[in-house]
Amino acid sequence: MSDAVQLDRLAEKPVSRTRETLQTLVANRLAVAGLVVLTLLVVIGIFGEAIAPYGINDIDIANRLQGPSGSHWFGTDDLGRDTLSRVLIAARVSLQVGFIAVGFAIAVGVPIGLVAGYYRGAVDSVLMRMMDVLFSFPAILLAIAILAVLGPGIGNAMIAIGIVYTPIFARITRGSVLVVSEEVYIRAARSLGATDGRIIFRHILPNVLAPIIVQTTLSLAFAILSEAALSFLGLGVQPPNPAWGRMLADGQDFFQQNPWMGIFPGLAILVTVMAFNFVGDGLRDALDPKQKSVIESRGQSA
Amino acid sequence: MSDPVLQVDNLQVRFGTKRGVAEVVNGISYELREGETLAIVGESGSGKSVGVLALMGLLQQPPAAVTGSVRYRGRELLDSSPKAWREIRGKGMAMIFQDPMTSLNPVRTVGYQLTEPMALHLGIKGDEAKQRAVELLDMVGIPSPDTRVSDYPHQLSGGMRQRVMIVMGLACDPDVLIADEATTALDVTTQAQITDLVAGLQERIGMAVVWITHDLGVVASIADRVHVMYGGRFMEQASVDDLYATPSHPYTEGLLGSLPMPGSDRPDKLVTIPGLPPDPVAMPSGCPFAPRCSYSDGARCTQEVPELRVAGDSDHATACHYPLGVAP
Amino acid sequence: MSGFLLRRILQMVLALLGVSIVVFALMHLVPGDPVRVALGTRFDQELYDALRERVGLDKPLIEQYFSWLGGALTGDLGVSFRNGQPVTTLIMERLPATITLAFAALAIALIVALPAGIISAVRSGSPLDYGVSAASQVGISMPDFWAGVMYILLFALTLSWLPSSGFTPFGDGVVEWARHLILPALTIGLISGSIITRFVRSAVLEALNQDYVLTARAKGLSEWQIVRRHVLPNSWIPIVTVVGLQLGFLLGGVVVVEVIFAWPGLGRLALVAVKDRDFTVLQGAVLYIAFMFLAINLVVDIIYARLDPRVRVS
Repeated sequence: MSDAVQLDRLAEKPVSRTRETLQTLVANRLAVAGLVVLTLLVVIGIFGEAIAPYGINDIDIANRLQGPSGSHWFGTDDLGRDTLSRVLIAARVSLQVGFIAVGFAIAVGVPIGLVAGYYRGAVDSVLMRMMDVLFSFPAILLAIAILAVLGPGIGNAMIAIGIVYTPIFARITRGSVLVVSEEVYIRAARSLGATDGRIIFRHILPNVLAPIIVQTTLSLAFAILSEAALSFLGLGVQPPNPAWGRMLADGQDFFQQNPWMGIFPGLAILVTVMAFNFVGDGLRDALDPKQKSVIESRGQSA
Repeated sequence: MSDPVLQVDNLQVRFGTKRGVAEVVNGISYELREGETLAIVGESGSGKSVGVLALMGLLQQPPAAVTGSVRYRGRELLDSSPKAWREIRGKGMAMIFQDPMTSLNPVRTVGYQLTEPMALHLGIKGDEAKQRAVELLDMVGIPSPDTRVSDYPHQLSGGMRQRVMIVMGLACDPDVLIADEATTALDVTTQAQITDLVAGLQERIGMAVVWITHDLGVVASIADRVHVMYGGRFMEQASVDDLYATPSHPYTEGLLGSLPMPGSDRPDKLVTIPGLPPDPVAMPSGCPFAPRCSYSDGARCTQEVPELRVAGDSDHATACHYPLGVAP
Repeated sequence: MSGFLLRRILQMVLALLGVSIVVFALMHLVPGDPVRVALGTRFDQELYDALRERVGLDKPLIEQYFSWLGGALTGDLGVSFRNGQPVTTLIMERLPATITLAFAALAIALIVALPAGIISAVRSGSPLDYGVSAASQVGISMPDFWAGVMYILLFALTLSWLPSSGFTPFGDGVVEWARHLILPALTIGLISGSIITRFVRSAVLEALNQDYVLTARAKGLSEWQIVRRHVLPNSWIPIVTVVGLQLGFLLGGVVVVEVIFAWPGLGRLALVAVKDRDFTVLQGAVLYIAFMFLAINLVVDIIYARLDPRVRVS
């Protein structure tokens, strides 16, 4: 490459990878905003009941279907329950499902990707064909089909969404492993007699972490959207536990009388997902500016 | 003596980077006459490429800041409008680059890329343009030019691609050709072919060439004059014979010392001078080469930047407080 | 090139086979006896046994799979438990609505995404670029069902400009067709467009940083000439990839929007089949959707080869 370009790169040599990553991330104001929002959400998720002004099942028929007011900042729903309180409590569900589902996807997908990328050949083909099959389904359809088997409910929704997002992690891990395993130090380790397991865990895994981390935040964003879609369809969290998607569905029934029932849960989803996306984008820029995986976007509703 | 085609006066280029201001080119001046071949030699990071990119107005400002004067045929370029620049680029001054695989568009045919400057600057289009493209390919010795013209870059060998780059630069008969490391990505044999080619074309067309390279072997075969660049400045400038016969800057001595003896294999990059080039963001005070110079006095050399001074009545100049072969 | 094509088709067939196995297995793991559900209150042991035999549920699973698969290859996907109609007919009925919505949404998406992505890449760092980035961030984070509900609120309920649901076939009147199509297409199209915008921008930005762009500048071309002649032809590949993925998603993954707008598409067919335990319909619908998705991917790969001369030769 030309001198000029090389020079640019030379001029910006990182001091240390972790420090530079953090520096870049913090400099990204959007990412910081996202982190703040997420921290807030986690706090709400843990301390929801203490923060919420009302209980989630405080029925008050006399005050049903009200818009925002002094005593009910987000208004009330068809049973007179306080929308704000229900939105706050529902945050826990969304975060739970999101984290556990993505945790599942990582726990299954990353090892598959590691094995496929490291051993290649027939193992790789078979594993990746299996991932291809999963990829052939639009995400939400797959989740619906799985829930048809398992039955609705929060736990099953976690498994369903987890299965849906496993192939992405497998593919991304495998892609990185293919690149990293070509590096000289891997061959050096092997020639020194290191076992496969040791090589994979001590040498390869640390170096493929970056794209996995980025994908994690992005998948969290989509997982929360998926959970919302599933509960909207009645397949996820079951009443009376509040969930943003479910609340939106209920809101739709009463749109004429009180549109606010549906507006606020949707806003909550929007803000949460945006926060994850900002953090994910920030991480991507900080860790590896060149990574732009097409596969990341799994479509919207799931 | 004809007027110089190109006059560069105290050219400076600074870049704003995350770590501070990088002083990449620090006041270089030179002239280029018609038909002359000037070689600018230096290591990676010496600022030689950035220097010529500035000549063509190809540096984005910001983050770069270019000051000084560049006059092409007497006309000041550095304050030109984008439109004025576009008229000169490819027509009056042309540039070819190091890696022909990445410097040629992979999804456009060779013919398309050749005819592009002709259509743009000379208004030659259609069949006439294609015909000229075939002629140009023939001129640089590419076999079966009439079929090659419809090929894509990846279908040609490295040497052929570089020839395509050269002839693309020459398509509009420029007065000045700038070759930025044009032979670095090629093997030795092809290198020799390319340098011969350019020299031959130069004679035919009467073009001036600025050759940027880190390879002194290449310089010996093609240049009239040589400027040695380090840390964004010229350390030594002389005719090619004078430079090889009586180098007077310690850096030049080091460079020449790393040339292989006849009989050994291909010329290496400059690895035998210990130490690293200076960091443009943190340029040392005094002579930029002092930290690596075995002749440095540790005092004046590290405090005072040596000026380019001519030795005797020749045009052989050196920027050193203790030039070699000269009594202090 | 035909070697490449053959390999891709083989891959697709294998994937489809895998999909069929997964779909079949899933359906037969569904708890609840479909025949019993279909009979409902008219349950009668003899009838039950006869029906089971008729449908083939008394045969071993493997045999059921192969007979289903064989039927599928000839276009016979079995019969719905709910209403006895052939599954293939049910799917075909839904196809026009699904395809209409998918392409309308994609059209909206591209009209928005291509200019936005290209301009924001060329003018990278400008306020326009930040504006586009911000808008696309909101776009990709927005739940599509919420967006749909908001649009209904605004355009149908508040302003009464457009109907809030339903599908009118083209043949029944262009105006009505368009009026019913706009809101659902806008809902998905803007979100899809946000996703595509980001890929267009990054593809164009990547191409702009290539050495051949420097060469083109050195030849004296203007920025827009460079974008048109050198940058865009090199950007199509990632763009086509994401457009293909989006199209595949639009054809089967917009269940929720279909529900909101009462749009008679394939996604809703599948959803209703889940609730009704109508597993032949579910099998058929999911298989068909996966098939379309894989077919689109194949087409995308073929287009790659046309766009990139380097792939053609291999």
